[in-house]
Amino acid sequence: MGGGLCDGRLALVTGGSRGLGRAICKILAREGARIAFTYARSDDDALAAVAELEAAGAVVSAHKVSVLDKPGLRELVQGLDKSAGKIDILVNNAGFGQVVPLALMEEEDWDQMLDTHVKGAFLTTQAVLRTMVREKYGRVINVSSLAGVKMMQAPVHYATAKAALRGFTESLAKEVGRYGITVNCIAPGILDEGVSEHLPPARREEYLRHCAMRRIGTLAEAAEVVAFLASDRNSYMNGATVVVDGAV
Amino acid sequence: MDCTSCDSTPKRVDRPHTFFAHEQDACPGCGKPIEARVVFRDNDVVHLIHCTACGPQERTVGKDAAAYVQAFLARGVVPEGLVGDHLFKHTTSTCPGCLALVDAQVVIRKGAVFFLKDCTRCGPSEALVSEDAGYYVRAYAFARAGTEPLKFRNEVEHGCPTDCGTCDDHEQHTCLPIVEVTDHCNLECPICIVDNHDSKHIELATFQRIVDGLVEAEGTCESLAISGGEPTSHPKILELIAIATRPEIGRIVLITNGIRLGKDRAFAQQLKEAGVYIGLQLDGFTPEVHEKIRGRDLCAEKTAALAVIAELELPTQLIFVATRGVNDHQIGQVIELFLSAPHFLSLNFQPVAYTGHGGGKFECDPNDRITIPGIIRRAEEQTAGKLRYTDFFPLPCSHPQCVSLTYLLQLEDGSSVPFARFIDFEKYTTLLRSSATLPATAEVEDALQDVIHDVFARQDEIERGPEILVALRRSLDQMFPRKPLSARDAVQVSERQSKSIFLHHYMDRHDFDLERLRKCCHHYPQIDGRIMPACGFNMFHRGAAKGPDTPRAKFGRAPFSLPVIQ
Repeated sequence: MGGGLCDGRLALVTGGSRGLGRAICKILAREGARIAFTYARSDDDALAAVAELEAAGAVVSAHKVSVLDKPGLRELVQGLDKSAGKIDILVNNAGFGQVVPLALMEEEDWDQMLDTHVKGAFLTTQAVLRTMVREKYGRVINVSSLAGVKMMQAPVHYATAKAALRGFTESLAKEVGRYGITVNCIAPGILDEGVSEHLPPARREEYLRHCAMRRIGTLAEAAEVVAFLASDRNSYMNGATVVVDGAV
Repeated sequence: MDCTSCDSTPKRVDRPHTFFAHEQDACPGCGKPIEARVVFRDNDVVHLIHCTACGPQERTVGKDAAAYVQAFLARGVVPEGLVGDHLFKHTTSTCPGCLALVDAQVVIRKGAVFFLKDCTRCGPSEALVSEDAGYYVRAYAFARAGTEPLKFRNEVEHGCPTDCGTCDDHEQHTCLPIVEVTDHCNLECPICIVDNHDSKHIELATFQRIVDGLVEAEGTCESLAISGGEPTSHPKILELIAIATRPEIGRIVLITNGIRLGKDRAFAQQLKEAGVYIGLQLDGFTPEVHEKIRGRDLCAEKTAALAVIAELELPTQLIFVATRGVNDHQIGQVIELFLSAPHFLSLNFQPVAYTGHGGGKFECDPNDRITIPGIIRRAEEQTAGKLRYTDFFPLPCSHPQCVSLTYLLQLEDGSSVPFARFIDFEKYTTLLRSSATLPATAEVEDALQDVIHDVFARQDEIERGPEILVALRRSLDQMFPRKPLSARDAVQVSERQSKSIFLHHYMDRHDFDLERLRKCCHHYPQIDGRIMPACGFNMFHRGAAKGPDTPRAKFGRAPFSLPVIQ
């Protein structure tokens, strides 16, 4: 390769085996990054992602570790440090969607949603940040959602978790900007795959009515923005949330 | 940059500036040779001159303060192969014979620093001022701007030290006021730095006036030291403490030999209830040390005092006057004692100053004495590396040759680790303060954020890194609890996070340096309203610079010149 936005960089993408995570891995790899991704459940999905990426010429490794497993994350970062080098790019993507109204929401639904999205981002970032501070370089991209930015018909716990990631982004950007680390966030609207896949048709239709581009987005369209934020081309955008929604 | 927790309050057109050193110059008006104050204003290097004939003058001698400092430090590099003395700079010292102010060449000789003086009346003399030229020269890199008090007592008329009290050419406010409340003492110490006559105690109303004057001049004082004589011999000592207990005074430190504490538990309990801190003189652990320094064996009395202090958990500073060949082999032992219990908050080493009723006539060789680097070296040797030479740094808010310090962070297992092992103090000089608390300035906050992130990032490389992170987290939790702390509680909580070791070198007729006096921040407030920098007072006013009955300087004024309790 050569001439890519992320040539020579090592990117860690959480939840990279499927959906938007896999798309981000593909785009970052296309832009010259070496990829390490985490996954929590399906070995088959992870193997498929690795195969797909390798077929495209990427250097990739898959790691089965939960974003809530603090020792596991520490081990992962140390292992990568030895085998692949310092992590330059972190994409906090791991998450899931769940359609459930507040009236039926169980406490464990709430905890699981908040833990995976918010605590997972915190634990992963804390594990990776040490190296970034030491190296005085880093790119952290958090994957939020339009539901965390605008008033939408979305599950309360999901919207809360995604809104929290904006706060996480802004505060962390302030805290570590002095070390050459940028922290940004993307807020995709409804995409054709991933967590949007199982949305009720009425929600999808309502979205299309309000979207200036009259279509839902693609995983790749959101991933392209991540690649820019992860690159040195973006040297001054920091603490920002980039909405990728076709103008809703 | 400002000192300690105070904001700069500039009153004069030549300020704000950073005082750096003294240099030889000439008055731009009349050409008379005169010593100038080198200050940095913005980035300019300016010589401030007070000419008795022409008044205040100034001359800009450079446009790049950082380059000036580097060139100044380079003057301290001894040319390879040089035999003999290397001239580093000049200053003004005193003739040890007649106490006249004389020019001193500051020279480096075999790795140490000496003053060479030549008095027209008494002839030449020499004095060792630092056992480590490297430390001495590097200390200048730590110079930091002082803070003006709210009010100066005097305007400059004749220049330093004649107008003292302090005059508005003084370069630092009062960090530590030391109020001498009595000249009675139950010891006659061969190294006594003051001049006791067992004749008078301060009146309550006079003390009240002193405290009021301090608050007027300073606004707030983090500490106020009550000293003497032996202050516990004052018949109304608890009433004096009550007077000083006010919101503007952070803490009261009672400087004592501990004899009364050991004998009078009820009194110690009253001190505890009054919230007083103890400054306990403890110069050694064997009869011969006490006899040589304090005049008699005090082992039993010191043991008794330490027992009461431990029982009541009185917050305590240990004060160890270090004398070469007498007690310098017990430096490690006092450090071990200091580290052994949480109620010992700080340890203050004072290289002996040969001034005062006892000290002025104490047998000494001014060319072979202990100085700050010598104490640090012994601390390293005698603690098996618990403390290292590199753990200590000059304190920037005083003159950097006056005080050296290290902080020790308290870890969860009760042990401690010097801050210098995980903080680059050359980079974060703003964190080097005489204060127990750090002011919430943007500069300090920035420095602390950097330190925390640095330890976080390098925790596997830093000695006891993960434990340090745990301790830092504990400190944050305790210092910034959900319910805000009162000012006094905040100080007490801060004190529990770390211990501090200070080395403060008071001056005498041999190593007196007018440049250091210029930025002195340990002051003796007087009953006539003057606030006197300690070493200037000892040299020119107390009347004991060479022992009892030393003639005062012409401008000298004795302590206790107003009504007192007889």
